[in-house]
Amino acid sequence: MAQYFAGVDIGSTMTKVVIMDEAVVASVIGASGTEHRRLANRVMAEALANAGLNFDDITYVVATGYGRINVPFADKQITEISCHARGTSSLLPTARTVIDIGGQDCKGIKLRNGQVVDFVMNDKCAAGTGRFLEIIAEGLGIELEEMGELSLTANNEVSISNTCTVFAEQEVVSKLAEGVPTADLVAGVHKAIATRIYRMVSRLKIEKEVAVTGGGAKNIGLVRALEAKLGYPVLIPPEPLLTGAIGAALLGKDVVQSAAKDGLPLVRSRHPLQEATFFTQN
Amino acid sequence: MTEEKKPEQRKKRRTATEAASKIGPIAKARTLGVLQSKEEGKPIAYAFIICAYEEIIRAMDIVPHWVENYAGICGAKREAPRFLERAEALSFSRSLCTYALCGLGFDAWREELDEMPPDPPWGGQVRPDMMLGSGQMLCDPRNKWYQAAQHYMPDVPIYNVELLWPPYEEDYDYREVQDYYIKHMVGQLKGLVEFLERRTGRKMDWNRLSELVDLADRTWDIFIEAYELRQAIPCPMGTGDAMNTMVPLTFMLGTQEAYDFYKDLRDELKRKIANKEGIIPDEKYRLIWGGGLPAWFALADFNYFNSKGAVFPVETTYRMAEATYNFDVDLKKISDPLEHIAWRWLKYWTYRHDKARKRPGSHPDIERLIQYIEDYKIDGIVMHLAFSCRTWHLGLIWQLNLLKKVYKDIPSLVLESDIVDISSYNEADTRARIDAFIDTLEAAKSKRR
Repeated sequence: MAQYFAGVDIGSTMTKVVIMDEAVVASVIGASGTEHRRLANRVMAEALANAGLNFDDITYVVATGYGRINVPFADKQITEISCHARGTSSLLPTARTVIDIGGQDCKGIKLRNGQVVDFVMNDKCAAGTGRFLEIIAEGLGIELEEMGELSLTANNEVSISNTCTVFAEQEVVSKLAEGVPTADLVAGVHKAIATRIYRMVSRLKIEKEVAVTGGGAKNIGLVRALEAKLGYPVLIPPEPLLTGAIGAALLGKDVVQSAAKDGLPLVRSRHPLQEATFFTQN
Repeated sequence: MTEEKKPEQRKKRRTATEAASKIGPIAKARTLGVLQSKEEGKPIAYAFIICAYEEIIRAMDIVPHWVENYAGICGAKREAPRFLERAEALSFSRSLCTYALCGLGFDAWREELDEMPPDPPWGGQVRPDMMLGSGQMLCDPRNKWYQAAQHYMPDVPIYNVELLWPPYEEDYDYREVQDYYIKHMVGQLKGLVEFLERRTGRKMDWNRLSELVDLADRTWDIFIEAYELRQAIPCPMGTGDAMNTMVPLTFMLGTQEAYDFYKDLRDELKRKIANKEGIIPDEKYRLIWGGGLPAWFALADFNYFNSKGAVFPVETTYRMAEATYNFDVDLKKISDPLEHIAWRWLKYWTYRHDKARKRPGSHPDIERLIQYIEDYKIDGIVMHLAFSCRTWHLGLIWQLNLLKKVYKDIPSLVLESDIVDISSYNEADTRARIDAFIDTLEAAKSKRR
C-alpha cells in the first residue's frame, strides 16, 4: 500500500501544502492572509481533494514556516531552515548554498551532503524581502508579477540610495514623478535588494552551486540581479515556492523510514484535520 | 469593588544555582547602599568594570557606582526606554553605546529635576563626586561617556586611567617591551591615587591596599576554580546563571564578600556534580557563549535553549580572570601593590599570546575559544551582536570565521539585538533562529554517530 507524506509550509504571506509518495502528487499554494492560522486545515483539505485522498491516507504530516505551531493536525514541526535544506537537496542535489527570499524574511543556508552546516536570517527589516517588492509595486502602480520581466527591458538602471523600505518607496515615487521610466526604477530596486541579500548571505562564504528558492526566485529581474552580484548563474527549482513544503514532506518520510528501520513505533499527533482552536473566537 | 488592573508582572528567570539566585538581592543591596553612602557624605565615584582600580578606591573608602551595571539593571527591568529617549531627545545618536545612552539620559534628567527621575530602578543613579574613566583598548565610551556626562555635571571632575597591554603579534614576543608597559601603568595608577587623595583629602593606606590586592588575586583564583567545575557532564551551571554570578568578580572585587561568594559557588557546584545534578535532566548539546554582551532584557532565552536540550557550560563574556598562579610572573613576589596590579593586568591580557603563536594564523581570542571548546566538550558556538556595542560587534564575525579557518567548522549561531535597547529585539524571530540552530546541531551530531 502506498504511503503518503504531507508538508505544510505556513509562511508570512503564502501557505503551501504538498502531498507526496515518491513524487509530488498534489500541491496547493494559497495566500496566508490574516486568518492563516485558521486556514491550514482548509488548504490541506484542498490538497487532499486534488490528490483524491482522505486525511487518514496520509502517513505523516510535517509543518514548517513561521506558522508551523498553528497546525494542530501535524505530527511534527520542523524549522523552515531544515525543510528548505532538505527540499533543495532533493530537487537540486548539486546546491551548496541556498538563498530563500520569502515574503517577510530572507535566509541563507549552507549545505554539505544535504545537511545544514550554517545559516543566516534577516528577519528584522523588510528590505531584502518580498514585502519590499510588494510595497514598491504598489507605489509604482504595477502588479508584483510584472516586475521581473519589466526590469529586463531597462535601459538605464536607476540607483536606489535608501535601504529603508518606506524611504525607498518615497524615492521611487519621486523619481517616477521626475519622468524616470518604470523599468529603470524596477531594475534599480532589484539591484538594491540583490545587494542587501548578497551582503547578508556572504557571511556564510557562498559556495557554488547556489539555489534560489521562495517567492523571490519567481522574479526573473531579481534573480538576474543576484546572478550579477554572484558572477555566475543560480539554480532554481521548478516551483520555488514549494521547496520548504517538499522538504517538510521528505523529512516526514525520513521520520517514518527511520522508525521502521529501528523497529520503533511511529509517534503521531492523532489530531483530526481541524483548524487551530486555541485562538479567541470573538 | 472591581479589582484594579495591575501591570503585567514578568516572570523571574529560573536559575540553576542557589548562588545565582542570590545575586539579585546582593546587587540591589549594593545599589541602594550607594544611595545610603551618599546620604552619609561618603565620596561616590562613577566607575567602569574591568578597570584595575577596584582595590585602590576600596582602600580609600570611596564608594563605586558602576554605571554600566546600572544601565544593565535598567535594561533587565525593561525600564531603559525612557532614559534612552531622554538621551535621544538631547541629540545623542541611537547607535552609540546604549549603556552610555541610558546613563546619560538618566543623568541629564536627574540634573534637570535636581532629584531622581520618577520611579528610578533600585533607587536610581546618584550624583557622583568624581568620574573615573578607564581608557583602554576595551571600548571608547569608557572615556567619552564621562566627557558627555560633564555637560550636565560640569563641577564633577573626571580622572581617566590609561591602561594598555601589548597587542598580539605573531612574530614578536611581547616580553621584550613588557617593562615599559608596567612602568606606564604604574605611573597611571600613581596619578589616580594622587587625584583621589586631593579630591577626598584622605591618604592612601598602602598596607590596606596590599591586603586588598592579595584578596583580589585569591578571588580570581577561586572564581576560576569554581568555573572550571562547569566542565562536568551534566553541566551544573550555565551562562544564564553566569550572567549573574559575574557580579562579585566585576563589581565587588577587593571585598571579602566577593571571595566568599565564589567559595560558596564552588562548594555548591561540587555538591551538584557529586549528585549528578545538571541544569537540565537530559543534556543533548553543550554550547559556548562565544562573545557579545547579553540582551539583558531577554535572559530567559537561556531557559529557552535549555528547553531544547542545550546548555552553556562556558562563556567568554565576563570571564575576566585567569588563575594567577598560572602566570609566568610570581605575583606574590611583587610587593608594591600598584606594580602588582599592573602585572596582573598585563599577564591577563597577554595570557594566550604564546599559545596563539604556535598555531599559524591564530590569535589569542581564538585560542581562548579553542581551549574552552575542548575543555568543556562544546558542540556549537553562539554569539550575540549587540548593535550598540561596537567593541564586541566589530570582532565577533571575524573571530567566528577565523575559528572555523584555523580550528574546525563548528555549528554557530549569531543572535542580533542589543544590550539595553529592547526595540532591537524580537522574541519570536530569535527563537525561530534558536530552533533552526538546534536542528543544525542535531544534524551535526547525527553525522558523527
